[in-house]
Amino acid sequence: MLDKLKADFDGILELVQKVPDPLKETALKIILDQWFAANAVLPRPPSPPPGPPPPVGGGAGTPITPTFKAYMVANALSEPELERVMHPLGPNAQLAVSEIPGVGKATKQVNLALLLSVKQALIGGTFGCALKELRETCLHYDCYDSANFAANLKKNKTLFKPWKKGEDLELSGAGMKKAAGVVKTIASES
Amino acid sequence: MSDTVQNIEDLIERLVEVDGAVRKLKTASVSGTALRKQAKDIHKDWLPICGILEQEQILDSVSIEQATNHLEKLKKLAEGKNPKSQYKPLLKTAVSHLESEVLHPLIKRSGLKTVGSSIRALIAPINDTVLLTYLDESVRCAEQNCVRASIVLAWCAVASKIHTKLLSLGLPALEAAFDKMKQDTGMMFRAFTKTIKLTTTGDMQEIPDANLILLCRFLMWLDDSEFKQLRGALDLRNSCGHPTNYQPDSVKLQAYYADITQLVLLNPKFV
Repeated sequence: MLDKLKADFDGILELVQKVPDPLKETALKIILDQWFAANAVLPRPPSPPPGPPPPVGGGAGTPITPTFKAYMVANALSEPELERVMHPLGPNAQLAVSEIPGVGKATKQVNLALLLSVKQALIGGTFGCALKELRETCLHYDCYDSANFAANLKKNKTLFKPWKKGEDLELSGAGMKKAAGVVKTIASES
Repeated sequence: MSDTVQNIEDLIERLVEVDGAVRKLKTASVSGTALRKQAKDIHKDWLPICGILEQEQILDSVSIEQATNHLEKLKKLAEGKNPKSQYKPLLKTAVSHLESEVLHPLIKRSGLKTVGSSIRALIAPINDTVLLTYLDESVRCAEQNCVRASIVLAWCAVASKIHTKLLSLGLPALEAAFDKMKQDTGMMFRAFTKTIKLTTTGDMQEIPDANLILLCRFLMWLDDSEFKQLRGALDLRNSCGHPTNYQPDSVKLQAYYADITQLVLLNPKFV
């Protein structure tokens, strides 16, 4: 296990560097806790007594992946803030906002791409979003501009990894940061 | 399907480009061969898309035919040196029709084709056969583009779960709970003034669902925020179960399912 920790430690430190100074110590502690929780070989727990099934999402036992926890720490994003945007927190997360922030369809479309990417990461995937889902959701939130759909994404290319028309999107570092900002904006307004 | 959506989107993008170029022209007619070829190519590229749409029978044939007519007119215009005043209204109509009658319905339909698997994932942990009867039918409705029916049927599962839980208290205790709620003068409960008499379990069917979920709030099985969300889900169910013009889409359906599973169907307080 120590060999694995040695291998992962540089990455962890790199992540901690992105956190504001006063939060660095807490961030390191949380990430290490998560790392040990994910990598430590623990004795098999006794089978649980029969009873009601665990709650779905929300609360202390929220099934958020360590990778996503690290993202939350790096961007100082709290669970209550996230819960105002995604619901429930965990594998069945859905976007739970009535309005997408932004003036005009273009800004809303890009913000929606960022939010859907966060949702996908929250359910255990990458920080990315399928164009098909983006179109459906844009239509739902009345911000689908078919003639400028691709152009709107191209204009914001710094937020996404190199992308060709028709391909699904993946967020860049800047996009992940911006996405956290959008979540915070919605949480502060609701 | 996603290729077809992408191709129609590209076509609209090109129509808007032609429109922009025509508007920029300082001459009264469109005579440049490049621009006219661009317009004719749009018609040419529409034909295979039209073929796919007709073959798959995803949209009604009238919408497809109208789109073809618009693009045929555009092709005819582009064959000669015609005035740009004839292009402007035609391009506007063609784009608007392609968007609202072809592309948007296509995206909505394609969303509904995949919504079944997302919903099935949400309800996978449910093993109550009574609930699954309603839910399975609801998912099949969603996959057949009957979103309103899907919402109503899913609510049947919610109502069934609430009925079972409330009846587990026993009829006398349930009647007493309704009485207590009636006497509560708090903001949330003072509007409830009914006297509920229950002689058989079947009497539960006569009580409006809105009253039942209010009782769930009164019994603290739901907190304020959960109650509001469930009330919203019931409102959606009512909008779908009565004659209205409201047409929920696949995104709304998924959010509805996420709510009802979390708030009732998989909520440990309703076990």
